[in-house]
Amino acid sequence: MKRRIIVALGLVAVLAVALAAATSAATKKTAANSITVWLQTDAQSGWPDVVAAANQQFQSAHPGWTVNIQYQSWTDHLQKFDATLAGGGGPDVIEMGNTETTKYMASGAFAPLDKTQFDNYANWLPGLAASGRYGGKTYAVPYYAGSRVVTYRKDLFAKAGIKKLPATTAQYMADAQKLLAKNKQKGFSPVYIAGEDWYVAMGFVFDYGGGIATEVSGKWKGLLASPQSIAGLTAFKNFFLAASRASKTTIETNPNPYNVYAEGLAASMVGPSWFTCCVGKKYTASTAQFVMPGHIAGKTMPGFLGGSDLAVPVTSSNKALATEWIKDFTDTASEKALQAKGNIPNATNLLGNSVNERAAARSWFVPTAKHWVDVENGNILRNMLGQILTGKLTVKQAAQSASDNVASVLNQP
Amino acid sequence: MRGTSTTAAAAETTLHRSRRQRRFWNRSGRLAVPYLLVVPVVVVIGLVLGYPLYWLARLSTQKYGLFELIQHHGTSVGFANYSSVLHDQIFWHTLLRTVIFTVANVALTMVLGLLIALLLVRVSTVVRLLLSSGLVLVWSMPVVVAVQIFYWMTNFQNGVVNYVLTELHIGNYDQHDWYATTFSQLSLVTVLIVWGAIPFVAITLFAGLAQVPHDLVEAAEVDGARPWAIFRDITIPVIRPILLILTSLSIIWDFGVFTQPYLLIGQAKITPGNYLMSIYLFEEGYFKTDFGRGAAISILMLLIVAVLSVVYVRRMVRIGTAQ
Amino acid sequence: MNRRRRNRRMRQLGWNVLGLAVFVVMVFPVYWMIATAFKTNDDIVSLTPSWIPLNPTLQHFRDAINKPFFWRDVLNSLIVVSVTVGISIVIAFMAAIALARYRFSLREVFVVLVIGIQMLPQAGLIIPLYVVLARYHQVNALSGLIITYMTFVLPFCVWTLRGFLIGIPKDLEEAAMVDGSTRLGVFVKILLPLMGPGLVATSVFAFITTWNEYIFARVLLNDQAKQTVTVWLSYFLGTSRNTDWGALMAASTLTAIPVVLFFIAVQRRIAFGLTAGAVRG
Repeated sequence: MKRRIIVALGLVAVLAVALAAATSAATKKTAANSITVWLQTDAQSGWPDVVAAANQQFQSAHPGWTVNIQYQSWTDHLQKFDATLAGGGGPDVIEMGNTETTKYMASGAFAPLDKTQFDNYANWLPGLAASGRYGGKTYAVPYYAGSRVVTYRKDLFAKAGIKKLPATTAQYMADAQKLLAKNKQKGFSPVYIAGEDWYVAMGFVFDYGGGIATEVSGKWKGLLASPQSIAGLTAFKNFFLAASRASKTTIETNPNPYNVYAEGLAASMVGPSWFTCCVGKKYTASTAQFVMPGHIAGKTMPGFLGGSDLAVPVTSSNKALATEWIKDFTDTASEKALQAKGNIPNATNLLGNSVNERAAARSWFVPTAKHWVDVENGNILRNMLGQILTGKLTVKQAAQSASDNVASVLNQP
Repeated sequence: MRGTSTTAAAAETTLHRSRRQRRFWNRSGRLAVPYLLVVPVVVVIGLVLGYPLYWLARLSTQKYGLFELIQHHGTSVGFANYSSVLHDQIFWHTLLRTVIFTVANVALTMVLGLLIALLLVRVSTVVRLLLSSGLVLVWSMPVVVAVQIFYWMTNFQNGVVNYVLTELHIGNYDQHDWYATTFSQLSLVTVLIVWGAIPFVAITLFAGLAQVPHDLVEAAEVDGARPWAIFRDITIPVIRPILLILTSLSIIWDFGVFTQPYLLIGQAKITPGNYLMSIYLFEEGYFKTDFGRGAAISILMLLIVAVLSVVYVRRMVRIGTAQ
Repeated sequence: MNRRRRNRRMRQLGWNVLGLAVFVVMVFPVYWMIATAFKTNDDIVSLTPSWIPLNPTLQHFRDAINKPFFWRDVLNSLIVVSVTVGISIVIAFMAAIALARYRFSLREVFVVLVIGIQMLPQAGLIIPLYVVLARYHQVNALSGLIITYMTFVLPFCVWTLRGFLIGIPKDLEEAAMVDGSTRLGVFVKILLPLMGPGLVATSVFAFITTWNEYIFARVLLNDQAKQTVTVWLSYFLGTSRNTDWGALMAASTLTAIPVVLFFIAVQRRIAFGLTAGAVRG
């Protein structure tokens, strides 16, 4: 019995030591001279060498300083960021999605930057630059972008007798009929587009000169019910019904278009250019890409310019050095390296000729409003598309209701 | 019947003994002992949660968005946050939906958990080891992974469930979308949650069943008592405290469950029409970075759960005091 | 006599078959996870589900283990979980004894405190907790995470252990005291063995809850070298590109192993009461 007590006490002692060890390991102060950078895991898996090069450059210019890169996930990096804004301990540089920045800029979360410090600042991509500007000041630096392209099966197109890639959406719809004639499997889509893929649908809207919302003397006005937007939505509806057998009410990640493609159930799909990663072993050789055509010959369809910016939180105690690091990470050499990995660089003078970059020539972006994130989270546009495609509401009704909704959300104080 | 007299006799002896016990445990001089025993827990909880609770309460009376967060300073608005939530139709609809959801989940979890615990008692050692290890495997699956597996299984395009149901000719479930209506969405979430909660209930009840006096049960069986009588008169009194605990805990957890519904239904398909309380809290409070409102909703949720589980909790406390 | 034995054996067989059926139904999703870990990428997304991996591959396991910080993060998880569970069970047991066996005036208050903590929606506590811990330099520290976990695990442990304690008749202790044993002797010789199943079940719960906890570990730990294995898992899902499902399933399988091992090591204690004949009246 005494032995058991001794064993129990011994166990407690071991635990206490473990706890002490854990504590001491933790309170070891991080090197006094270091800056903390929050990048997304895309960088860790996609271009770690570009990160390493920027760190190297920074460290040789500032001897004695180290860079501590901490990789974050898109799903919760903002929650973490909010906690650090409240309690301190946040990063000196943070990567933000270009649709996430406006709310934080409006709340004073970032320090203003002098844009002339950065390479190619005069030629920044308009879509990205807009997401870094608020009240006339620059708060975030464009990092990289991605556009939307068509990934297609060369062999299926050839078999259907399509000799030239479509130059207009009307041509594409006709090609879709040819593809349907030669591919009678159940669920086969000539062009796989999810019903509630608002990125593609809004491309049609902007192609016809419409828009989502615009700011008129301080108040937001919805544009989805304008005649041009309605024309665009109607064009999208017709295109979808003619060319896609996807579900009318699912979103573009559910199922992933490339999974449908890999099953041989899609002749082409519209999405980010990195879709080629996952088309399956069978079809990798016969896959290629082209830019989605608009409804007017010679003009591509505006593609959604997704991307990231880099900002310096106002809680940082090393703002000057943080800015230096951003400069190193977005200089011409780094941007060219990012371009080599398949991304779109942040300035128009650096744009090359890849399909991805040509698609970025004509792009659209979301309204830079403080509450835009709430519109996205509220799925207003997605629901509108679902209603239009299932026929629950006419295009005009759905667009009007969505437009009013968007305006009221954006106009919140 | 002799069966019942044995159980009644056992109950009577227990009653006689309670008087002696009270004398034993309250033997004087050591009045400080219970306080000393309780202090470590109070200290840990107080140290960590004391300030956050105060912060939460104070926050619920302030206008506190992202701007105020950065300034570390909010503006007091009294009970405006509470008022806006209580006047929100969505709040009440969500509350009703969550209550029904909780009742369904807790009932299923407790009934199935108890049945499996009873099963664990009766099977042979090898099967018991297999089944209990299987339950622990289920229990230890990360929620994110479990959701993804469930999603694949119920996927309308290539899900196993549709495939099996169609092959078994139960009906034509080819390409059936299980996520089309709110009812089926929440039913799937219920299946996922109950599946994940059963191991805990089953194993804890199994441990509780191990305390049932074995020889009493055998004696009653020899006397010819029917299984239901044995269960009601011998087993239930022993495991009643644990049953009550598990029920009250299940109510608390299922009312506030967040990850499973949020991930399984998917952010794109979450609408006020299928909100559950925790999702409502997340969307209205944190997604919109209206922390003041979020705090008010948190406190309201706390009060509601307290009301919902008060019956069980009081019974639990009373059982302890009776002896 | 023979017929009764045969009937009993038939019944035992019936229970066993039912037990196996329940096992298959409950474990199926877990099987799916493990099978997926061995499937090739093409098989994973194929339209017709394949029950058994036709071309099993170990590539996903290799990818999982090679992802940076795997072993380091497993070690962190083990440290955090064992310290949390170890200390929590001890002090929760102490508090449970006070609640179940003693009468003291602040008892009701303590019970309300314990239950109340359980009822708090955790989402609301993330930011204030971070602020408190940051003030004491407990952010990005395993000790900060441990004390956070203890706070969330303690109420449940106290509550459950109290339940188990109430189920043990007090006359046993009384009888032992009458026989001349000391109070400590009563505790060690009578109470502790009978509480075996309850203690084990509670510690399994505490182990699994802390092992799988994600959001607080995510927010409180910054350096990848300090993170727990659940945070490590999230890196498979966090990119804006496609998810490597095979590797994620392999990683999840690997992270479930310690939990199952822990359970197998302690599960005999749960059934102890059944086989040894718990209470001699």
